[in-house]
Amino acid sequence: MDKITEKQLIDQLRTLKDIKPRQEWAVLLKSQILSESKPEEVFVQKVGNWEIGKFIESWKLVIENSFSRRLAYSFATLLFMIVGVFGFAQLTVPGDLLFPVKKLAEQSQASLIGQPKIKQDVATLNSRINDLAQVAKAGRTDSMPSAISEINANVKDLAKRLKDNPTQDAQTFKDIAISLKTLADVPGTDLSANPDVENLYQTVVQSQIADLEKTTLTDEQKIILEKVKGLYDNEKYADALEEILLISK
Amino acid sequence: MDSLNEQFGQIYDQYIAKIYRFVFLKVSSQEVAEDITSKVFLKGWEAFQSPKTEIKNPGAFLYQIARNAVVDHYREKGRAKVVSVDASPQIADPGTSAQDKAILNADIGVIKLAIQKLKKEHQDIIIWHYLDDMPINDIAQLVGKPAGTVRVMLHRGLKDLKDIIQES
Repeated sequence: MDKITEKQLIDQLRTLKDIKPRQEWAVLLKSQILSESKPEEVFVQKVGNWEIGKFIESWKLVIENSFSRRLAYSFATLLFMIVGVFGFAQLTVPGDLLFPVKKLAEQSQASLIGQPKIKQDVATLNSRINDLAQVAKAGRTDSMPSAISEINANVKDLAKRLKDNPTQDAQTFKDIAISLKTLADVPGTDLSANPDVENLYQTVVQSQIADLEKTTLTDEQKIILEKVKGLYDNEKYADALEEILLISK
Repeated sequence: MDSLNEQFGQIYDQYIAKIYRFVFLKVSSQEVAEDITSKVFLKGWEAFQSPKTEIKNPGAFLYQIARNAVVDHYREKGRAKVVSVDASPQIADPGTSAQDKAILNADIGVIKLAIQKLKKEHQDIIIWHYLDDMPINDIAQLVGKPAGTVRVMLHRGLKDLKDIIQES
């Protein structure tokens, strides 16, 4: 090659400025790199000569961080309190301050499971019978009226539902019968004379008699069924239900 | 967070072409240059986010990563730095005709090869000063040498480059 001057050489060097990266590659690389963040480490600005930006950004991060942390703590405390209240409410009986919370939890749970209404009513009745048994066992006479009142309300709802939808499966009636028997066995409480309870007894016994009449029975069971019918006619529904449960065994 | 992305985005836009060119002039192909440049900016972004690293001069920081990345590249691959003249560079100049581009490519190929035959320290200084228009004082800071020494190195580098081109 011919001799070249320094100026020509520098001019040739400057032609290398035409070397540029592919535009699409550069754009793609930028988006890929900037998507790789480490948020947990980002608290300090890096460029020393951007002091104002650094100051503002640092404060912004401190405030955001502190706010999020405070929010997280508040949320955790609230959650803890809610869980605590709901947990404690499970130990309550009618008349206690947190008893409505217990009822609310039961209703929510039943709705979440998607239980049929009649099953929900039976489950609630069983819970209230348990409450009454606890109250009776602990001798909490102050809570007794509330416990009985809760049972009355449940029994009334259940009787109404059965009246509205009399065609229930045999198992449901059997479950109600067992609940009523349990209720009758709670010491110190006799609710059989309660009109709502009596009404429920009547409905259940009537249904069970109809069911047993369609079933093939032994001679002994047939005798008991006749006895049940007699008790039913004499409006001794609780006694009739006792006999029905004997046949079912 | 957004602000940090934005800041690095600006640095990226400012240096992507310079770093790519710096790397491209030292390696054999566009693919290798893109690969190394990607690593340079990824490392730069990681350091930029880390609270342990303080970056006062983003340009100098990226060039330093690029220099090390090129050294690592040759060390890993065990390749000689001399490359084929056939490795023609990518030129982003859509306005140039095919014939002009071919001539330009030929010239660039020759000068690129000549640069690669220079000492590494001369390569860097020539690229920074004549292609990136970096002032002597900035280069002096970057290489950690007095400005006078950098001037002498630049002069010697140019002389060596001229000799290499004339010999070819």
